[in-house]
This record gives sequence, structure tokens and C-alpha cells, in this order.
Amino acid sequence: MSERPLAGVRVLDFGLLTAGANTSAMLADLGADVIKIESGAYLDPFRVIGKIDSDEGWWNRSPQFRFTNRNKRGLALNLKDPEGQRVIRELAVHCDVVVENFRRGVLDRAGLGYKQLSAVNPRLVFAAISSQGDTGPERMNVSFGSTLDATSGIASLTGYEGEEPRISGMDVNYPDQIVSLFATGIVIAAVTEARRTGQGAFLDFSQREVASFTLGEEILAASADPDHRLSPRGNTEAGVAQQDAYQCADGKWLAVTLDTHDPSMAAFCAGKDRDTALKALLAKGIAAAPCLDGKDLLRDIALQGVTLVRDEKGGLVKGLPYRLDGTGLAIERPAPDLGQHTDEVLRELLGYDDARLKQLNDSGVTSTTPTIGEV
Amino acid sequence: MTEASSLPLARFTIVEVNDAKVPLCLRLATSLAAKIAADLGADVLKIEPPEGDPVRRAPPLLSQGGSALFEFLNTSKRSLALDLARESGRTTLASLVDKADVVLFEEPASVATSLRQAKATPVEIAAFPLEMDAAQRPVSELAIQALGGLMHMVGEPARKPLKLGGHQASYAAGLTAFTGLMAALAARDAGHRAPSVRVSLAEVMQWVNWKAASGAAASGISPGREGRNSEFQILPCRDGHVAVVYTVTQWPATRTLIGDARLDDPKFSARAGRRQNIAELYAALAPWFADKTREEIQKAAQARGVPFGPIFSPAELLQTEQYMARGFLADMAHSTQGTLRLPQLPVQWNGRSFAPRPAPELAA
Repeated sequence: MSERPLAGVRVLDFGLLTAGANTSAMLADLGADVIKIESGAYLDPFRVIGKIDSDEGWWNRSPQFRFTNRNKRGLALNLKDPEGQRVIRELAVHCDVVVENFRRGVLDRAGLGYKQLSAVNPRLVFAAISSQGDTGPERMNVSFGSTLDATSGIASLTGYEGEEPRISGMDVNYPDQIVSLFATGIVIAAVTEARRTGQGAFLDFSQREVASFTLGEEILAASADPDHRLSPRGNTEAGVAQQDAYQCADGKWLAVTLDTHDPSMAAFCAGKDRDTALKALLAKGIAAAPCLDGKDLLRDIALQGVTLVRDEKGGLVKGLPYRLDGTGLAIERPAPDLGQHTDEVLRELLGYDDARLKQLNDSGVTSTTPTIGEV
Repeated sequence: MTEASSLPLARFTIVEVNDAKVPLCLRLATSLAAKIAADLGADVLKIEPPEGDPVRRAPPLLSQGGSALFEFLNTSKRSLALDLARESGRTTLASLVDKADVVLFEEPASVATSLRQAKATPVEIAAFPLEMDAAQRPVSELAIQALGGLMHMVGEPARKPLKLGGHQASYAAGLTAFTGLMAALAARDAGHRAPSVRVSLAEVMQWVNWKAASGAAASGISPGREGRNSEFQILPCRDGHVAVVYTVTQWPATRTLIGDARLDDPKFSARAGRRQNIAELYAALAPWFADKTREEIQKAAQARGVPFGPIFSPAELLQTEQYMARGFLADMAHSTQGTLRLPQLPVQWNGRSFAPRPAPELAA
């Protein structure tokens, strides 16, 4: 491929977990130089949630962290220390984009909010991703993944027919997953504007709004008709004659969508193994698909497309949701160890020398080990 | 509202091609991607078959006729009806695409082969990855949620798997196609050759559901729907339901909030113990919810930093204080439907929202 779309763009990445860290990961995938900032006192929580052992260096082995942060460089700088804050303001001069999903106010209090950073770099595009957005009475509300299934409306349409609503749950946390798919595109739009006009932007994303946006037609219909009442609808869909998951003779589930009603479908599936039923339905032009699980997905290389890839250490990591010029993702570097590139980046961008780097390390501004206790 | 010319994508021209007989779940993804660009100011021309985009007749329908789905997905666009089965229609399309920056279309479209060669950068929406070589395989929203492993995650383990509400497979792909489209425009804008973009619904669904693969790879066991054994469950309250959600570090605050002596039992103090005794745990949690409203629950929980989620319906979201305060919902004056209220793009850009303009009438 020729020069990548975001070649020459540098990202200062405060993104944590999925919503923030994945937005900057998608920018890295498009060629941006992403430098992720953590600190010994505050790791990306994915390092902790994904803890698989208690041996030395455990914070560098989390699968969830590895999945999301490949192709980034990693710095550890203490954001609570005025010296750490000063280093970050210096770095911001050399960056085009900031991505952050702290609770509102955290970076402002550290002197690292949009106001302070745009003062040193007016071209900066600052993407603030939060639960409820940067304004409004609920701006300080906390949420975690499936909280937003509930408050966005998605849960109200999910569940068995006539029963209580359902959420996607902690192994999916669906609203966290979709925000980066939208936010990345908006950041790119703002970067192209900043190149053209010299002016950056403050981009205020509410994850709850992104999730509600996926129900736009239902909100619109309710505004036109106050009687537009909805409830969990199982696997049915308005405008579709018949649709459900049916259990096959081998106990496996098959999802089927029919243009015309067929009362014999449950019995048809119950009388055959899933693979046999699937082939027969597809041959008749009926949309059918197996309800796969994680192991199935790992096995089916063709179905995976470009969504999974291995890094140079052989670890499985997140690939791409799309392909550019037909190709998938090259993993240029695995997810960084805590503080792995601190010295490299501070030399390269700020010209720090050995004495300065030693002083930062001795005073605890930089580090490669967590200062938090047992987790 | 600022002039359309000052909108961020005002310099760009996009053609969205609706060929006849393309699966609806692909159409919705294409339309969403183009709608986002149109609301941001791009000149989006939607090519429809002579009888109109089938989404014009898709539910939810509006009481005065027309489709809420169509109105939502086609804001701020222009429309032109072309019969792509005829040579004249294809010639007109080719000349329009020649002048555009990007052309969006679906893999099974009859004109796909020629659009892939266009001067405009092609953004192609497909159902399945290239490696499956399955352009003609029947597909639906449900089939994609099944194939991507999402259905396996929702519901009770002993009962059928469930889809998430809404058109999540289509819309996640539509958001992805928008970001791909922006990557192409950024490359063009910087004077580089833009990469072609291909988005398949099946790949997007797996990418969104990545913890299924990462969990299975790490432990050898596929994560799956846990229903009544899940740590996060739904409890009824006085005026509806609330999702009980809290992280490990939020457990002490959660216990204090509920204030039931049974929760002080040491078996609940660590996560493993709470999982082992989940039915008992929820029996102790439930009474606190039963006599309170969603609003009371949210206020009390947020005061302690506990992220419980009251469940709202789309109709209730129209009244949500937070959405009103942020102006997330736009009132759009429609020539035949009166005023429609709908979500705007979920971003504020230097405090500015992007008010959508009504979807186009069908015009030849």
C-alpha cells in the first residue's frame, strides 16, 4: 500500500479500557504514531482486569491489554506530579491529537485539559470520550459497559418475548465497543480540518448518545407517535415474517430469517444436525447462520477475515473491522510494557539527555513498575 | 445554525448507490455511513431504483405514511432515481461517480464491478469476509449477530440465544464504513492515493465481540450467556427495571448503598464468592430496588459512585433531562410529517451540533 492515510499524525493517548484506547488503536492502524501515556500509579485498568498471574511483570501480560494496544508506544509519566504534567505539555506541542476517556475534570485538574493544551498547540484535536458527555446535569455520572445498554434504550428492546429487558453483559459491554468505530472517523474529519485551517477542535463524545443513536428510528417513531411502545421482542424483527434461533438435533442453535411464515421450521431444525439444516436452508435461498461461540470463531479462519492477527510474540490481538486496499493489519509492534518507550520518546521528541531522564526516573516521575499494591 | 458551507465535509462529494434487490441489512449500513457524512456537510447524492429505496417502506412506519427508518437514515442527502438495469441509467451513474470523491455501494449490486474501477474511491459494504467468497449467500441482521458470536452471549444458558435490539449488525458496520470513508478522504485531501475500503458486517460483528475470541484463546472456554448466573443482572423496581452493574472496586460502595446485613457475610466479600453465591446475593439485593423508582435508584447509586443503569425506552429518552440539556435531540421540520424529533450525530464539535435536514422525496 502507498503512504497510509494518517502517516505523519501523532496521537497523545490517554485512552483506557476499550472506548478510549481502541479509538487511538484505530488511528494507529491507519498510520498514526500513537504514544500511550500511563503512570506507575495509574495503569490502564485492562492491565489489571486481565491479570493472569502474580509473578514479576504481571502487568505486562494481560490479554485484553495486549488485544487493544498493539502498534502503540508506551510512556509512564506521573500525571499528579507537576514535573510529569510539564513533560506532557511539552509533548502536546509535538502532537496532532489527544484521545482521553477519564472521568470529566481529571485532566483539567492536572492542567492538561483542552484549554491548557490548546494554549500550547492550537492545532490540537482533542477527543474527550465520556459516559454522558462534557455538559449536562449527568456529566459526572459513572457508568461501566452495560450501564449504557440500560440507559441508552438498547436493553429495552432486548430479551425474551414478554419478559424483562436484558443487557449485553460484562463479556460484551456492547456500548463500549461501538464508540471507537464512530469517534475515529470524527477525529479524522477534525484532523483534516486542522490541516486546512490551522485550528484544532474539542470533540465531546457521549458513549450513551452513541448507543442511543443506534436506535435513531425508534426514537424518531416515538416522537411522531406517543403510542409507539416497545418491549423485548425475542429474535423477531418488525417487517420480517418469521425469525428466531432454532435448536437442532445435535443441540446446537441455528438462526433463521424467513420471508414467509413457516410453522414447520422448529420441527425441521429439530430433526437435523445443524450443519445439515444450514446447508438445506441456504440452498433454498433462506438466510440462516449458526450461533457460534468464541472457540468456533477462533477455528473459522475464513470467517475471521481481518479481525484477528498475531503479534511478533505469537500473541493473538485485535485486527481490523474493515480492510483497506484488500489487506488486513500488519502488527509493527506488540502492545507496550509499562513505560517501555518513555526514554526513547522523550529523547526523540523533546531531546532529553541521560541526566534529565535519570532525574525524572529518580524522582518517580517516570517508571516501569506499578506503585499500586496488591490487586 | 451555521451555513452548510462551513460544515467540516462541505468540500466533498459522495455518491451512495442503491441498486435494486440488495439485502436490507447491507442497505442500512451503507445509508448510515452516508448519512453521517451528509450531516457533516458532504454533498451526498443517493441513487435509488425507480420504485425507490426499499427502506422507504420499512418499519417502523409513521402514522401519516412514510418510514421512520428511512427518515433517520437519509437526512441531509439529495436523491436521484435511476434504473441501473438500463444502459442510460448506468451511463448517468458513471458520469456522476466520475465527479465524486467517494462512491458507496454493496457487494451484490449489479454495478459493483464497474464501481470498483471508478475514479472516486470505492467504499464497499458486504455481508461476509473476502475469504468466504460468499457474495450471493443469503444474509440477515439475525444471521450476522449469530455468526459473529454475539447471540451466544445474550440470554439464559439453557434457553435460546438472543439478538441485541435494533439493527446493531448493520449500524456497527455503518459506523465502520463512515470511518473508512473518512480515512479515504483524509488520504485524498493530503494528496495521496486513497485506499479502497471494504467493510463486511460479519467482520465488524466479530471485531465488536472480540472478548469472545480473546476469552476462548486465554482460557480454552468460550465465554457465553450466563443469565441468572451473571454478575450483572436486571432487577425490577417500582416503575420499571434497573441493570445492576458494579466493578470489583465498587463492591464496598454497593454493599453500603444497599445496606442489607446479609451482604456483610464474608462469602460475598470477594468476587469469586459472589459468583458462587449469586442467587443468594441477588435475593439480598432485590428488596432495596422493589420499592424505589428508577430515578431514586440512579440518584442514590450515583451519589456513591455506583453505576447502576435504569432501563429507559426510546419514548422515555425523548424526555431525558441529560439529552434535553445537551440538545442531543433535534427538532426537524418535515414538509409532510410536521416536526420530527430525532438524535443528532453523537458528537459536539467545539460545542456545535450538526442539525440534520429532512430526507429527500423520491425524484426522477
